[in-house]
Amino acid sequence: MNRTNLKISKGKLVGFALFSVLLMSVVSLSQAKGIKHLKATDSAADCYECHKYVTPRVAQNWLESKHGVQLMKCFVCHGQPDGKGSIPFSVKPDPVAVCAKCHDPAMQRMKEKFGTEKGCYECHPFHQNSLHHDAYKKSASKKE
Amino acid sequence: MKLSRREILKAAAASSAMMAIGGPFGVIKDAAAANEPDEWVKSVCRFCGTGCGVMVGIKDGKCVTVKGDPNNHNAGFLCLKGALMPPIVYSKDRVTRPYIRQKGKLVPASWDEAMSLVEKKFKEAVAEGGPSAIGYYGSGQALTEETYLASKIFKAGLGSNNVEGNPRLCMASAVGGYVTTFGKDEPCGSYSDIDAATCMMIIGSNMSECHPVLFKRVAARKQADPNVKIIVIDPRKTNTARIADEHVSFKPGTDLAILNSMAWVIINEEFDNQRFHSKYVTFMTNEKEKVDFDAYMKFLEDYTPEKVETMSGVPAAQIKTIAKMFAEASATTSFWCMGLNQRIRGVWANNLVSNLHLLTGHIGKTGATPFSLTGQPNACGGVRDTGGLCHLLPAGRLIKKEAHRNAVEKQWGIPLGTINPKPGLHTIALWNAFSEAKVKAMFVLCTNPAHSLPNVNIYTEGMKRTDNFMVLSEPFMDAETVKYCDVLLPSAFWCEKRGTYGCSERRYSLLKKSTEPLGECKSDFEILMDFAKRMGVDPKVVPYKDVDDVWDEWRQVSAATPYNFSGITRERMEKESGILWPCPTEDHPGTKIRYVRGEDPNIPDDYPKKYHFYGKPDGRAVIWFRPYKGAAEEPNEEYPIVLTTGRVIDHWHTGTMTMKVPELRRSFPVAYVEVNIEDAKAKGIQNGDDVLLETKRDKMVLKARVSDVCRPGLVFVPWYDANLMINKLTLNAIDKGSKQPEFKICAVKISKV
Repeated sequence: MNRTNLKISKGKLVGFALFSVLLMSVVSLSQAKGIKHLKATDSAADCYECHKYVTPRVAQNWLESKHGVQLMKCFVCHGQPDGKGSIPFSVKPDPVAVCAKCHDPAMQRMKEKFGTEKGCYECHPFHQNSLHHDAYKKSASKKE
Repeated sequence: MKLSRREILKAAAASSAMMAIGGPFGVIKDAAAANEPDEWVKSVCRFCGTGCGVMVGIKDGKCVTVKGDPNNHNAGFLCLKGALMPPIVYSKDRVTRPYIRQKGKLVPASWDEAMSLVEKKFKEAVAEGGPSAIGYYGSGQALTEETYLASKIFKAGLGSNNVEGNPRLCMASAVGGYVTTFGKDEPCGSYSDIDAATCMMIIGSNMSECHPVLFKRVAARKQADPNVKIIVIDPRKTNTARIADEHVSFKPGTDLAILNSMAWVIINEEFDNQRFHSKYVTFMTNEKEKVDFDAYMKFLEDYTPEKVETMSGVPAAQIKTIAKMFAEASATTSFWCMGLNQRIRGVWANNLVSNLHLLTGHIGKTGATPFSLTGQPNACGGVRDTGGLCHLLPAGRLIKKEAHRNAVEKQWGIPLGTINPKPGLHTIALWNAFSEAKVKAMFVLCTNPAHSLPNVNIYTEGMKRTDNFMVLSEPFMDAETVKYCDVLLPSAFWCEKRGTYGCSERRYSLLKKSTEPLGECKSDFEILMDFAKRMGVDPKVVPYKDVDDVWDEWRQVSAATPYNFSGITRERMEKESGILWPCPTEDHPGTKIRYVRGEDPNIPDDYPKKYHFYGKPDGRAVIWFRPYKGAAEEPNEEYPIVLTTGRVIDHWHTGTMTMKVPELRRSFPVAYVEVNIEDAKAKGIQNGDDVLLETKRDKMVLKARVSDVCRPGLVFVPWYDANLMINKLTLNAIDKGSKQPEFKICAVKISKV
């Protein structure tokens, strides 16, 4: 491989790998023992208050998105990280079980138009407005 | 780049990590897929007055999930409360059998034992004090058929007009406002107006938390057309204000002056619609004297922007800005709720908003309407429309008018003179009377007065008396009122019974029954029918085998009035997802705009004028000269801060339902006091500190949330916490016209503990 042709730099590849490892460890730790999340009932569902520091881009995207403005809070889709919520905890919620509660009409339309191969997430960024509403221009945390 | 061995291993670790969580765009397949419902049954959300249609997902006879009804006004959307309803149905706190209080404790009893005691106590009360010694206190969350039935049982069957309900605490001023302005209750527009409005004024309403799916529609409108102007008038900078072009913060109570000032600006900038108001409006002084437009201009001279700036704290320039925004827009819609209603000047505040629409002609056109938001899911359809209040009869008729009583008696097929000509006791008077054991027996249904009444200590003391009797129909054991009832009846809950909800936009929607009631629970229809039978109510008064019979009667009773929804048959309700009344025939689509020829079926097509406010004898709506008058308990030296109460999106009212959902409970597990940053600094209060709140009535320690939401001089406490009931501190002063209490303003002092 020729250094000049490669699009991904060594530093970025390592960084991405480290990020993935971190993500995996956060997910597995929380699913295993709840260590990374508050155990106390007080504020256990106030995800944003910690995640604005822990995962600031995601938190900011959510806050500025339609879900954020309309107070569709984290736990509605993700449940509770200690598994004690009324819906299952998931980092990436199942569209049929979760998204369809509000977005079923749109999901049906997409099914009719494009078939069922694609999941919601392939086109719709998780916490932002859809692709059709200049979401990337709106997010303060995105680099232009 | 040559990848080193180390880097390859790291990359491999990364990709296996991605695979472990289901690939870059995969999802975690969990038990949810296995819980796919067998069927979806149409219903309506149990919570707010937005009235979202809901499809209840049933599997093996149980409600396992919900989704929005794509065919109702909410187009499939729900808010976080609606989306999380299922666990509430199966909460371990459900009351599943009757109880009787013996020696201070609730002891399980059979239905017959419980209802026999109820019968005995009510008959004793009537024998001792006549029909005025018994009362019914119902709810804007009960089904329409249940309230219609209860009201008929008491008024036509038992001779008692002491029929009230918690809408007296939330919507009575809106009723009074609409009736004094238009001669008829209920909004004249619909939710569709949001999609066409070019200016929306939201006043006394935290719409984003209390009517979330409607707020979503407002926000979507603004996103679709950035030229749409949003004005939010609230002494708190709530989440609703996030989308505002103008957020107007003001000294609590002075909104009356601000609304009059907007009228002054509108007239002085020549933005009033002379053609409209000269043809369709009567100008009336506060003393009910009919005057003219010149008199109105003179009245408004006390409300110039400069004068109102002094009294309200709102800059004169901002008053001018919002007045122009309101008037200049091509179609302006106003929304308001408890901030205006829960006031001793509630009726006046409602009038003053309608005044602006009548002055500018922003009414009766798509996108232009004065829209009162209703708090509860069925205050409109269930209580207001069926006449479930002490002074009302079905479809807007009044107990005090003999012609109205006789018309209803004829419709009900009962002898003329059956209905007591004297209106009963309104909510506060009724509970005062119960607290003094003047009313000896109360039937409380689907509401939690030991938590929701203002200045609540008086009433819980009254409930403790042994010389009065209270039977409570309640689904949840931990409701505060359960502590005081003498008999507790297990009520079927939400999807366990069939009936109608009528939401804010005059839409009547059917809730189908989709699961069997738990344990020994019965629907309130069954409970009330049993009560009527035991009390010896003439069977001709209650000739119903099920709720559909009740609906059919009510539908036909409405036909003689402008409510006429005889076209909303059960068959249509099963097929469709709600229909807006009036709807006089089975092929009528429902009515989006009232009082306008061509839109309102009550107006003949050849009526000479376009607008006809047929609720008034001369067909004209009224602009009332309502002056600014302060709250019942203004802040003073000893209690220098205003205490206001309200809700958060996560909790509904007294929390008996939402606290059953772990996500919602943990989001707001306890009440708190929201303190302004400046006020907190002055008192050395930091976020999370214990703060002592004291009013003349009681005191309470709450943890502080310091922010810039409340303006200085104002604190806010939510009312969902049964362990920290802020109604111990609130005031039960009432609006003279509507009898609605002033939950929104009282005087408090705060100090760091």
